[in-house]
Amino acid sequence: MVELINPGMSLFAKKPRGREEDDLFHKAEITNVYPMTATEKLYQIQIIDPAARRGFLFKPGQFIMLEAPGIGEAPFSISSAPSRLGNIELCIRAVGVLTRFLSRLERGVMIGISGPFGTCFPVEEMVGEDVILLAGGLGIVPMRSPIMSLLENRSRYGRIDVMYGARRPSELLFGYQHAMWRQFDIGLKVIVDRSEPGWTGPVGMITALLAKRLAQGERSRFGNATNAIVCGPPVMFKPICDMLLEAGLSMEKIFVSLERRMHCGRGKCCRCNIGSTYTCLDGPVFDYWSVLNLKEAI
Amino acid sequence: MSDAKSYLGVPVLRPRVGFFELTSCEGCQLQLLNNEATLLDFLDLVEIVNFREGMKESGDNYRIAFVEGAVTRADEVERLREIRRNAEMVIALGSCACFGGVNQLKNRFNDPAWVKREVYGEYPIDSQAAVPLAAVIKVDLEIFGCPVKKEEVERIVTNLVLGKEVKHPKYPVCMECKAHENICLFDLGEPCLGPITRGGCDAWCPSNRLGCWGCRGPAPEANVDELRKIVARKNIPLERLLDRLECFGGFGGEADAVRKELGGLK
Amino acid sequence: MIFKVLAAGELEKFFELLVVNKLIGPVERGPAVDGRLLFDFAEVAEIAELRLDFTQTVHSAKKYLLPYLEETGVFVMEGSDWEKRVDYGAHQPLVLFGLHACDINALNKLDKVLLAEPYPNRFYGAKRAAMFIIGHSCRPTPACFCRSMGADSVRHGCDLFLTPLGDDYFVEIMSSRAFHIMESLDLREPTRRDHKRFQEQAKHRGNLLTAEVDATDLTKILDMEFDSTVWNEWGRRCLSCGTCAQVCPTCYCYGLEEVVALDLAKGAKIRQLYSCNLLDFAEVAGGYNFRPESRTRLKYRYYHKHRGFVEAFEEPLCVGCGRCGTNCLAGITVPEVIASVRRGEVENG
Repeated sequence: MVELINPGMSLFAKKPRGREEDDLFHKAEITNVYPMTATEKLYQIQIIDPAARRGFLFKPGQFIMLEAPGIGEAPFSISSAPSRLGNIELCIRAVGVLTRFLSRLERGVMIGISGPFGTCFPVEEMVGEDVILLAGGLGIVPMRSPIMSLLENRSRYGRIDVMYGARRPSELLFGYQHAMWRQFDIGLKVIVDRSEPGWTGPVGMITALLAKRLAQGERSRFGNATNAIVCGPPVMFKPICDMLLEAGLSMEKIFVSLERRMHCGRGKCCRCNIGSTYTCLDGPVFDYWSVLNLKEAI
Repeated sequence: MSDAKSYLGVPVLRPRVGFFELTSCEGCQLQLLNNEATLLDFLDLVEIVNFREGMKESGDNYRIAFVEGAVTRADEVERLREIRRNAEMVIALGSCACFGGVNQLKNRFNDPAWVKREVYGEYPIDSQAAVPLAAVIKVDLEIFGCPVKKEEVERIVTNLVLGKEVKHPKYPVCMECKAHENICLFDLGEPCLGPITRGGCDAWCPSNRLGCWGCRGPAPEANVDELRKIVARKNIPLERLLDRLECFGGFGGEADAVRKELGGLK
Repeated sequence: MIFKVLAAGELEKFFELLVVNKLIGPVERGPAVDGRLLFDFAEVAEIAELRLDFTQTVHSAKKYLLPYLEETGVFVMEGSDWEKRVDYGAHQPLVLFGLHACDINALNKLDKVLLAEPYPNRFYGAKRAAMFIIGHSCRPTPACFCRSMGADSVRHGCDLFLTPLGDDYFVEIMSSRAFHIMESLDLREPTRRDHKRFQEQAKHRGNLLTAEVDATDLTKILDMEFDSTVWNEWGRRCLSCGTCAQVCPTCYCYGLEEVVALDLAKGAKIRQLYSCNLLDFAEVAGGYNFRPESRTRLKYRYYHKHRGFVEAFEEPLCVGCGRCGTNCLAGITVPEVIASVRRGEVENG
C-alpha cells in the first residue's frame, strides 16, 4: 500500500512560487484619526514590524486592502506620498459595513493591511512635462498621492494644474492643505456644484475649469508634453476624457482610476473584473486607450 | 456573566432585549433555546428581560424587541403598538411576523365566517385576517424562516451588538443547495421554490429531500415567471406550485396571480 | 510520455494500493425522474462503489480544491490587538480516481489563474500539490461539447490516465509518482494492436460528441454583439440562482466575508464561492450596482469565459462539460447561447 506522504512525494512537492499569504499581510496600528467632513476621516496608520515598514514601497495611485478583523476587508487608495515609508494615510468615507465600523475606531487599535496592489500613475514618466489633475468628489483621495509626489519634485515638472470639484463646500477634502499646495506653484482650482454661506469660489461643473485651462494651452504642447490624471465618479470620465482628446492629448497620456467591487485585491476573486481584466491587477489606473478597449468600463 | 466587553477597542454594550409572541407556535423562540452549547454565550451578549419560553420574570424596559407571530386579534394590535413604543428596535422573528406565515392561509378562504365556524364551532373568538407586523407598525429588521435558524439569529445579534450592519443574502436557496451537492428536487420530480426563495437557510429542507416551500419569502428580483414555465415543463400541476406559494405568505402577489388563473380567487 | 497496458484484474490491486489514502471517485446517486442515472464525486472505500462507467457527475470535483466556504484566516482577539492564524487546509493527500479529460483540463485552467504570480492562492496551491489524480476516458453525453473547447484530451494535469481496451487498461503514465506506484503491478508494453484499439476508442468517443460550439472568431463576435437583443431573452429566463457557477468545474469567483464569534473572542475571514449571475456580485459599498440586470450579469459570464479569458490565456474558461446547461432549470446551455449570439436571435424565444 502506498501512503502518498513519504520523503519522495512530499505533500507540498509542487509548492507554487510567489509571495506567501503572510508576506503580504501586515499588522498596523492606527496612530491618528482626524475627522475631515461629516462623513470622511483621515486615518494615519503605521505598520508594526520595522522591516515590513521599510519594505512597504508603493507608488501613487496604488491601493491597499485594509482589514478590520471579523468586520470586513476592502480596498482603499493610499492618500499619502510614497516617500513616507510605512506611514500611510487613508481618507475613508463611512458608507459600508466596514467603513462605518472603522469610523468608530480610535488611535491605538490594530488593523491588518495587505499590499500595495495595482497599477500606479506613472509620475516618473511625466518628468519635464505638464500635468493636469482632475478630481471629482472622492476622486481627490487617490489623487492626493500623485499631487504630493509632484510637489516633492516640483522643479522636475512643467506646468501643474489641479482641478477639484465637489458637491458643496462642506464636502471638500484636504481643504487645510490647499494653501500649502498653491505655494508650490500649482494652479489649484476648486469648484462646487452648490454654494454654501461663506463660499467665494466658483460654482459649476469641473468641465468648466477644464475648458478654461484648455483654452490657455497650445495644441502642440497638449499633444506631446501634457499628461492628465482623472479620478472621480464613473459619470465624470467620458465628458472629461472627450475634452482632453479634443484638445489634442494622447490617449496614452490620459490616466483614469476605476472603482470596482473588490474582495481579494490579488487578481483572484473576479469581483472587480471588466471582461477578464482585473481592476486590481491591471488597474485601478488605466490609460485611456486601455479603457476604450474594455466593455462597460466607463 | 462577564463585565463590559469590547471589540477592537470599541465598547460593546449588552443591550436589554425582550422576546414576544403574537399568533404563532412559538417555535422560533424555542429554536433559540435549542442549542445549549451556545446559549450561555448568547445570554452573555444580551440581557434578556422578557422571554416567556425561557424565564418567569418579565419587564418592559428593553431596547430590542424580537416579536414572533402574525397579528390576528385586536388585542395583539394594541400589544404590538406598545412594544413599538417601548423598543428602540423591533425585529420580526420568523415567517409569521415577516409575512403572516401559516396563519395567513386562513385569509385565502372566500368566506371567513365559514372558517371561524369550522375551526371554533360554538366558541367563536375575536379573530381578524392574519397580517405581518409591518402592516401594523414600523419593523426595523426581519429575520426570515419557519422556523428561524438559530445560527443566523446568533450572527445577527452579534452584528447588532457590534454595531455591524446586518445583510441578508440576496441569492436564492439554489446557491446553498448546490453547495451541499443535493440532487435537484426537480430531477426527483418534486416541485421546489428554491430558485425564487431567499437563501441563507443553508438549504435546510432540500438537504433533507424536501422541496423548498418558500418560508423565507422571495429573493430580491426573484424570477417567478420562469419558475412557472419550469414547473409546467416538468409536468408538475400548477396547484402544487400554488400550495407552496400560498403557504407562508411571502409570495402573496404571485400566489394571487396563480390562483386567479386557476379560477379560485375570491 | 510512457505508455503501458495494465492487465485485467490489476485495477483492483492498484485501487487497494491507493485506498489507504483518502480516495475520491465517481459514485452513483440514483436515477432522476427522467431515467438518467445521476453520479457525483464522493469518498470511496471499496472498489465496488467506484463507478468508472459514469457519464458525468452532477457536480464537479472542484470542491476538493475550492470548498464553497473556507476560513482564510482566524483572528484571536486580545483587546485592541489580535493574532492572525492561517491554515491552508491541506492536511492529507487526496487521491482523485476517475476524473474525465474535461475535469482535468478544468483544473489546468484553474491553475493558470489561481497559481499565477505574483499572488498565488496558497489555499488552492497547497491542496492541488497534495493531490494524486487518475484520469479515465469518458462516456460522452448529448450535452458534452468538450471538443469545441479543446478539452477532450489530456496532455498534463494528472498523474496517470486510464483508457479501457476491453478488459485491459491502456495507461498513460504522467508523473514519477505514478511510475513508482505502478512498479509493483502487472504492466506490459503496448503492442501495435493496443495502439489501434486506443485510437478506435477515441474515435468511438468522438462520434458520441454531438453538441458543438463554433468558437471561430468568438472573442470578436462577442465584442461585436455586445448590444445584441439575444441577451435580453436569456436574461429574461435566467433565475440568477448561481447553479451554473456552482456545478461549473472552472468557475472560481468568490466573495470574502468576515464574522465575529458569539463570545466576541474570535473573528474569521470566510471565502464563499460566488457567481457572477448573483444579483449583488458587482455591487459596491453604498449600494451602486455595476450589473443590476440579469441579462448583463449573464452576458458577463460569457464574456469572462469566452472572451476575456481567451485574450489572457489563449483558451476559454470552459471545458465543454455541459454541466451548466444540464443543471440549469431554465435550460440555458452554452451551445445555444453562443449559437444565438451568432445568429442574432434565440430559437423558441
